[in-house]
Amino acid sequence: MLKSKALLLTVLALLLAVVPSFAQEPAEVKVWIAFTDANRLGWAQERAAEFNEMFPQYNVTVEGYANYEELFAATALAAEQNSLPAIVQYFEVATQDARDSGYFKSIQSALGDRTEVDGIPFNLDDFIGPVSAYYTLDGEFTSMPWNTSSAIWFSNQTILDAAGIDTPPTNWAEVDAACTAIMALADAPEFCFTFPNHGWFFEQWLAQQDAEFANNGNGRDARATEVTFASEAGVAVLEWLDAQLAKGNLYYSGAQGGASWETVDQAFSSQQVAMAAYSSSDTGAYTNIGVDNGFEVVASFLPYNDATGWTGNLIGGASLWLVNNLPTEIEDGALAFMAFLANTENAATWHQATGYIAIRQSANEALMGEGWFETNPNFSVAADQLAGSTVTPATSGAILGAFPAIRNVVTAAIDTVLLTDTPAADVLAEAQTEANVILSEYNTLFAPVG
Amino acid sequence: MPLAYFLRTALYEQCSAFSLQLVHNWYEIHPSRLHTGDDTMNTLLPFIVGAIGALAGAALFARSFRGKQRAVVGTAIGAGAGAIGALLLMLPLDFCMFDPERKTADVIFGGILIVVGFALVTLPTRALALRFLLPRPTIMRGESGAGAYRGAVLPWLLLAPTLIVLALFLYYPSLDTFRLSTLLSRLGAPRTAFVCVDNYTRLAVDSDYINSLIITLAMSAAIVVIGLTLSLGIATLAFQPIKGAKIYRTLLIWPYAISPAVAGVIFLLLFNPTGGIINYFLDGVFGFKIGWLNVPAVAPWAVIIASIWKSIGYNVLFYLAGLQNVPNDLLEASAIDGATAWQRFIRIVVPMLSPITFFLVITNMTYAFFDTFGTIDYLTGGGPLSSTTTMMYRIYQVGIQNNDLGKAAAESILLFVIVIGLTALQFRTSERQVTYGA
Amino acid sequence: MTTPTQVQDTLENMLVGRDTARFSWIPRRWYTHLVLIVSCAVIGFPLFYALLVSTQTNSEVYAYRFLPGSALADNWNFVFNIAHIGNYMINSALIAVTVTFGKVLLSLMAGLAFVYFKFPGKWLVFAFVLVTLMMPTEILILSLFRFVNSLGWGNTYLALIVPFIASATGAFLFRQHFANIPAELSEAAQLDGATPIQFLFRVLVPMSWNTIGALTVIQFVYVWNFYLWPALIIQGQERQVIQVGLRTLAGGDVSTSYGPLMLGAVVASLPPLIVFLLLQKQFMSGFALSRDK
Repeated sequence: MLKSKALLLTVLALLLAVVPSFAQEPAEVKVWIAFTDANRLGWAQERAAEFNEMFPQYNVTVEGYANYEELFAATALAAEQNSLPAIVQYFEVATQDARDSGYFKSIQSALGDRTEVDGIPFNLDDFIGPVSAYYTLDGEFTSMPWNTSSAIWFSNQTILDAAGIDTPPTNWAEVDAACTAIMALADAPEFCFTFPNHGWFFEQWLAQQDAEFANNGNGRDARATEVTFASEAGVAVLEWLDAQLAKGNLYYSGAQGGASWETVDQAFSSQQVAMAAYSSSDTGAYTNIGVDNGFEVVASFLPYNDATGWTGNLIGGASLWLVNNLPTEIEDGALAFMAFLANTENAATWHQATGYIAIRQSANEALMGEGWFETNPNFSVAADQLAGSTVTPATSGAILGAFPAIRNVVTAAIDTVLLTDTPAADVLAEAQTEANVILSEYNTLFAPVG
Repeated sequence: MPLAYFLRTALYEQCSAFSLQLVHNWYEIHPSRLHTGDDTMNTLLPFIVGAIGALAGAALFARSFRGKQRAVVGTAIGAGAGAIGALLLMLPLDFCMFDPERKTADVIFGGILIVVGFALVTLPTRALALRFLLPRPTIMRGESGAGAYRGAVLPWLLLAPTLIVLALFLYYPSLDTFRLSTLLSRLGAPRTAFVCVDNYTRLAVDSDYINSLIITLAMSAAIVVIGLTLSLGIATLAFQPIKGAKIYRTLLIWPYAISPAVAGVIFLLLFNPTGGIINYFLDGVFGFKIGWLNVPAVAPWAVIIASIWKSIGYNVLFYLAGLQNVPNDLLEASAIDGATAWQRFIRIVVPMLSPITFFLVITNMTYAFFDTFGTIDYLTGGGPLSSTTTMMYRIYQVGIQNNDLGKAAAESILLFVIVIGLTALQFRTSERQVTYGA
Repeated sequence: MTTPTQVQDTLENMLVGRDTARFSWIPRRWYTHLVLIVSCAVIGFPLFYALLVSTQTNSEVYAYRFLPGSALADNWNFVFNIAHIGNYMINSALIAVTVTFGKVLLSLMAGLAFVYFKFPGKWLVFAFVLVTLMMPTEILILSLFRFVNSLGWGNTYLALIVPFIASATGAFLFRQHFANIPAELSEAAQLDGATPIQFLFRVLVPMSWNTIGALTVIQFVYVWNFYLWPALIIQGQERQVIQVGLRTLAGGDVSTSYGPLMLGAVVASLPPLIVFLLLQKQFMSGFALSRDK
């Protein structure tokens, strides 16, 4: 009797051990993003944990990389070794590179006729205009927006008040006037304004004047084969900056890359400058700078060229791309996670945690209902700026191969104009020639043959 | 044993992967090219060049073997070596630079390559031929034959890991860099394109490249000259038997262990224009600040100072050792003759230290060319206005940030040539070479 | 002209303080002390200041305080718990120890083969190894990158270890050192019936601790400080080494926090400093021989 009982127990135990292995192994959905800080990477990992609990058939893991360039290299290498993840975050200027690479599949084609996956709706119409426009290529919704920012203007309102300026300047002429007033103060800051030397700001100022960066409808009608940024509008941008530097209004550090952004942070927080152009993704941080250092920080639209008027601004940031040729379960898991990450509630909390724009209209409405924008007025600026933009090829943003390399060329051109006496038109023309060489080489290698 | 099995299969996989890669790469050396020109010229070209090479080689060897035994054999070898050398770099490139649509610059570059290939083959061959053909008893250094073990397999086994790793991870990538430099290549691209020597000839007119060349040479000169002068000065003044000598020496040399990257990080703090301590002192004591990291004319000095800081102790150590061995009688004799201390220093001490100086120049130059990369990356990021973009940093910018692998490979080759050239120049201009019999 | 033995003796004398000076043209002792103290102070200042800053908050840094600040615990927490610098340190340690050990072993073997064996083509093999001294890794880094990736070693420890496990410098150091050892020793060992390997480990190695120590210091510091290669071949944070990992302290969110950055820099420098200090004597004497090429 005892013996058979023991036998039964053993068999049961064995069954219990074996049966779970017959249950479905959760599908591995790997997500690679270019954040390593606790705030953003942590947020994403928490959402992944929530998702995994809701959908035990999926196991989403989020891995962080130091920056977009590293992530790009890692993706290229993984592709060679056939070990690509399910989702990769590519920044907006790498959109053409992403398309050409063949690693990815457009969201629309993966969705097919479906409007939801695993019960999570996509609601592609709910995304705000410029965001939708940027990531829709050839009429297809290609990648999933996630962190979207725009270039805005931060002002030390305390200093502006002292100079008798009620609201931050909205265009270049007003910036000039404001600076004259500010620099005339008794305890004027060392300089009036500054900006990080990054080609993105040049692109913004160019787009505001409805000038295109590349041909073929900014690369959206057909593959871009030439860049066109050495136009009158482009030269106007550099000449304005140069003039401001000559007047002593502009503080230019000459620092490169990430250091350039840091010098702007330092200059603004130590009140060395009164105003700064910056990314809206750091709205929270900049508002806090004011709180920490005892002055009021007000965010406003990026000042535009009054001679041409304001058409609109570009988005910045990155989107999530779906990897090609995934097994169906993993692909569905990836789609579901992307939809989950960008759903109304998460879009709202992501905005509140980071300052990136709430990419859904429903999220914006929810936040407005909460009164979030009343208590945090600076946070609405980027979204308002995008909402007020007219969608044209110029303001939709350029789709360009080797854009990161070309952006470096533009950044170097700004460097040259501000640090030497060479006329802006010459520098920009040379930069355009150089960029065209890069672009034609890129197209030689990447453009489909035949 | 499972471990052995695992090792065997892993090794096999690696070997087959590697051989496949080699074959793949080899075939890429002969891509299809469009011949739009006169074909007769191109088919004749290898023969013409080979013949010229053979003649030149024969002449060169004939001169070396003149009046010696086996001159005929030597000359014949010379002819063969000359022909092979002249064709060495041309055949893989298929004489592409002589195509009719090519510009003069390409042809000139082709000519340079022929000469380089010629020299690369004939000079070592001549040395070998002279050594082995002529009856001269030469004993290898350190090889008296006594105490040697027997066995032909074991030495190869002992050397195998070293040789395999060096061949695979040093020689092969070097050759591959040559190949890469003739291609248009980007990471992740579906294909590459053969561009002959375009990557090189374009550099000749690229003002950014020439700029980086000047920057590199200037910064290296500063690091070497200032660094060694300072070190010699400190060593001379510190050259005494004193208490605490050991402590002083440790306290001077330890920056050797700090990485160039960390040096960049620390000096980033020190040189910060607004919050850095150096500007604070300058402002307090002299009343002005220097834009260390902002001003293109000044930024290289920040890198130079950080680099000298790291290497000064190392240099001092060697100079101290060298000073110890300056013979005193010579100095006393010249003192009696009426030479001043300064004259004695310049005319006797410095020349006696030249082997050490020679060694330190090479070491510091290598440091300035290559190891400053970490410092530059953290300290200035290559700017402002590319004023701290050395050739090595440019290779990183062009190859990794801008993803233009072919051009970066061409720059790597040129950098290599320049380093070799400078080293060779050093060997020739130093009066006494560092030779030690064993 | 200086000979290797002379230089080695000199260095050893220097360390023990046994030098005798008979040089009348050198200034007086107090002058010497002054120069030395000033030099040491100037050289030591950057690290000293970095140490100070690693205990301070940003506002204390901008206030130029020369006393330890208040934020050591905070900075420590940030560096180790939030930025996971410890992970990078472990990776660096793993790589540095493995490569150093491998280089010493392979160099010993190579030295043994070059000195104690006669085989055809030895001169050619020797030249083969010699030439690699002229080929700094940085020059072929792009091709090496592609090659290592094609082997499937991208982003692995193997990529950091294997390409550097052979050392031409080491091969020369040991060859020179073994060549200076009297031949009678090996003859005696052969009479005793010792195999070459036994001879290596029982006789040669115990006589070579100085050279081994010197090589260890040079290679450990070299590998620990290597920056460009890990930056290329390792993506993500799991296997990254400390030199590149410091980046995460330097960038990231808004302002650079100098405190954690300096703490990270100091911590990153400790292992090579310790190795260097422990093996100083070997380093100095071993280097005398390394100039024979």
